[in-house]
Amino acid sequence: MDGTLPGTDGTRRDMTVQMLTTKAEQAILKTFEDNAARLPGGKSVAELRRAAIGAFASRGLPSRRVEEFKYTDLKANLREAFPLVTGGAADADTTHGALGSHFGPEFAANAVSVVDGRGTSSGGHTFLADSKAVSMDWVQAALADESLAASADLLLNTALFTDGAVIDVPAGADVADPVVIVASARDNGLAVLRHIIRVGKGAKVTLVEVERAPIAAGLRQSSAVTQISIADGAEVVHIKVVEAHKGSTHLGHWQVRLGANVSYKPFQLTLGEGLVRNGLNVDFTGQHSTLDFGGASVVHGSGHADSTLVVDHKVPHCTSRELYKTVLDGQARAVFQGKVIVQPGAQKTDGKQMAQALMLSPDAEFDSKPELEIYADDVICGHGSTAAEIDPDLVFYCTSRGIPTAIARGMLIESFIAEAIEKVEHDGLRDALIGIARDSLAA
Amino acid sequence: MPAVQETVEQVKKIDVDQYKYGFETDIEMVKAPKGLNEDIVRFISEKKGEPAWMLDWRLDAYRRWRAMTEPTWAKVSYPKIDFEDLYYYAAPKSTEGPKSLDEVDPELLRMYERLGVPLQEQEILAGVKSDKPRVAVDAVLDSVSVVTTFKEELAKAGVIFCSISEALREHPELVKKYLGSVVPQSDNYYAALNSAVFSDGSFVYVPEGVRCPMELSTYFRINERETGQFERTLIIADKGAYVSYLEGCTAPMRDENQLHAAVVELVALDDAEIKYSTVQNWYPGDKNGKGGIYNFVTKRGDCRGRNSKISWTQVETGSAITWKYPSCILRGDNSRGEFYSIAVSNGYQQVDSGTKMIHLGKNTSSRIISKGIAAGFSQNTYRGLVSAHRKATGARNFTACDSLLIGDKCGAHTVPYIEAKNSSAHFEHEATTSKISDDMLFYCQQRGLSEEEAVALVVNGFVRDVLQQLPMEFLAETQKLIGISLEGSVG
Repeated sequence: MDGTLPGTDGTRRDMTVQMLTTKAEQAILKTFEDNAARLPGGKSVAELRRAAIGAFASRGLPSRRVEEFKYTDLKANLREAFPLVTGGAADADTTHGALGSHFGPEFAANAVSVVDGRGTSSGGHTFLADSKAVSMDWVQAALADESLAASADLLLNTALFTDGAVIDVPAGADVADPVVIVASARDNGLAVLRHIIRVGKGAKVTLVEVERAPIAAGLRQSSAVTQISIADGAEVVHIKVVEAHKGSTHLGHWQVRLGANVSYKPFQLTLGEGLVRNGLNVDFTGQHSTLDFGGASVVHGSGHADSTLVVDHKVPHCTSRELYKTVLDGQARAVFQGKVIVQPGAQKTDGKQMAQALMLSPDAEFDSKPELEIYADDVICGHGSTAAEIDPDLVFYCTSRGIPTAIARGMLIESFIAEAIEKVEHDGLRDALIGIARDSLAA
Repeated sequence: MPAVQETVEQVKKIDVDQYKYGFETDIEMVKAPKGLNEDIVRFISEKKGEPAWMLDWRLDAYRRWRAMTEPTWAKVSYPKIDFEDLYYYAAPKSTEGPKSLDEVDPELLRMYERLGVPLQEQEILAGVKSDKPRVAVDAVLDSVSVVTTFKEELAKAGVIFCSISEALREHPELVKKYLGSVVPQSDNYYAALNSAVFSDGSFVYVPEGVRCPMELSTYFRINERETGQFERTLIIADKGAYVSYLEGCTAPMRDENQLHAAVVELVALDDAEIKYSTVQNWYPGDKNGKGGIYNFVTKRGDCRGRNSKISWTQVETGSAITWKYPSCILRGDNSRGEFYSIAVSNGYQQVDSGTKMIHLGKNTSSRIISKGIAAGFSQNTYRGLVSAHRKATGARNFTACDSLLIGDKCGAHTVPYIEAKNSSAHFEHEATTSKISDDMLFYCQQRGLSEEEAVALVVNGFVRDVLQQLPMEFLAETQKLIGISLEGSVG
């Protein structure tokens, strides 16, 4: 075989490499030692944290030799780790700043706000740092989920999370207004959050996570893991907006478990010049459920946006759809890794994936790895991936109709990205997302 | 959609227990002692009468190989290979330089006859055109080339076609210049092993402006027990040259697993074209997964010159484990790479195959068409890389990789890596029948075909895309695959 398939170079792994701990890894280990006693959770959580930091210490931050991080080398990119923020300056302005102007006041009014790694008490929401919340059986069970030990970025989160929202949507509930979780933190801080959500049978809810900083803000690092368990017949729309400024890093991950007849519609919008990794693992455990994923990113400068999905069809008769669109400028880089697994016996699975990149600058880079792993024969699965610059024919068509070139290009770019955003059905949310994307495109 | 009956039957016909080439031939052999060390490398080099630089090259490769560990990233599993328990050199005793076919062991000729390999040179009579196409054959048995046909006629056109051992003796300057220039000694574990111990293989040099007058072909046969086959093929098409090359492979049925670790290097200079076709039919093991060949091969073509073109076509039905990625390095501006593949796995076969298209030059283009069919308990993986480097402006790629599963005990997997490092790259990757051009379907329907008929027409046209790349001579062998329809394919 040819030896240098991506990330799998047999020849270069030969040497026994003495793992060197980077400055960032050392800082993370020290952060744990300094804060372990103060981190929330009882004895069992403390044990989980201890096991997680142990595993993290032996693995280190993932480098490009780790297949899942082949295109997002955290070891090389994370030069230092900021001190962990564990609460302090709670201030309503930061929440508003993070939401920005496009979200209407109705979203801010009832927001679940987490500032500097701690939930703010206003609004009567439940947070993980509350000893009563963390000791609930279903929360404990979620925290002990072994699939979160799979990679070092998740281990880091388990070891260090300081707080997060705990949302329990009772069976049959129809939550009219979107539940908005807004996370913000002071500059030069590391915020680590864990949100745990349970949606009961037949319930309907729209969840929104916002992770943005005001334009003038400085550097931040954040890790946010959301675990959702969705019971039979529930309908969940789950939206995330991440904006990372230059030098900032956000490592996000959603771990989702779907029951039967569930409709789950996640959408993720990533913006800015920072490094963002959005992981999404969806397990189908009940039949006739549907996943309809939309992803969009607008990346500038030296920004890096990574969307990594693992969709595991464990049972028959489920449908999954993924559409990812990215617009790249400057030296920006976008990564799409989508893996669809159809387990033995998961017949009648219908899975489709599409990843498309529009490259506006000659130095942009798009890396795509749409992967299929299929063990059942009566299924329809497909994927597509394209990368290209703006089609000059389309620009010509517009200009021949009297539209100036700059406007024509703008229209084409916006319509490209809007195809993904339009998957969001909630009018107010969709308008807000399009507004945010438009601002970013104009930047 | 499940596989249609016709396809199921066609695949059954080529199931592992239907293997036709599993006979053994009793030929007296000379073997090197078992195991691998520097002395074995020296032994092989000495047997071949190689120049000193070649021995140094081999020893260098051997030392590098010693420092490497076996790669494990492919989606295949097999017990660890004991490299000390293999014979690295086995040659028929009677082949110490046969001058013509008359001197070759008749037992050997009978073997090739049974395999359907034409070793007799057919004369073209005055005024009478032979209905059979003429193919020059290099027959490689275990470690050595037994005979090469049509050499003289090819020499008239200036084409050098001989075993690589002979090339090392007769044309050392050419070998020295190109050997290892596409697949370096330390490229990967099995390439390093091959560089150290390769015993024979074919060498082709087509001089500037020459269109090779006939198809060239190498027929590989593993015969001896407990041997590994390590052949090395080097093909160079000089400026403006064209050559079409085919290889076929078979092996006897045995309970043991045998290792085949070949290296193929292609070099196409300015305006040259190389077309390389493979019908791989090594023994796949029995229906319980016992025995069979481990086919761990490095194949790579270097489109070194401007406007050069390299095209790989493969029909893979054999081997217990196949692990290979025929690749193109598109270095020259406007160069073009193609990869057409049909991989059928049955029984307990494991296939991890695909290609790499590495766009380095400007306005380079590549096309990948891969069809995988998995049946029985087999695992069939397509793994491919398409990458356009920063300076590869105007790079174009189209990839379509479809797979089909027959039965619920097998697996079909797709692992494509697509890396666009400049904005003018234009990459398209698709993997479902429903995504095959809606326009085409619309056109057919508009002319009165039903949607199913339209899909069938388009899909069959698609499969033919791969088959039509095969030279006529090999078409017969692959015709059994033509009937296979891919209507029920999944990405």
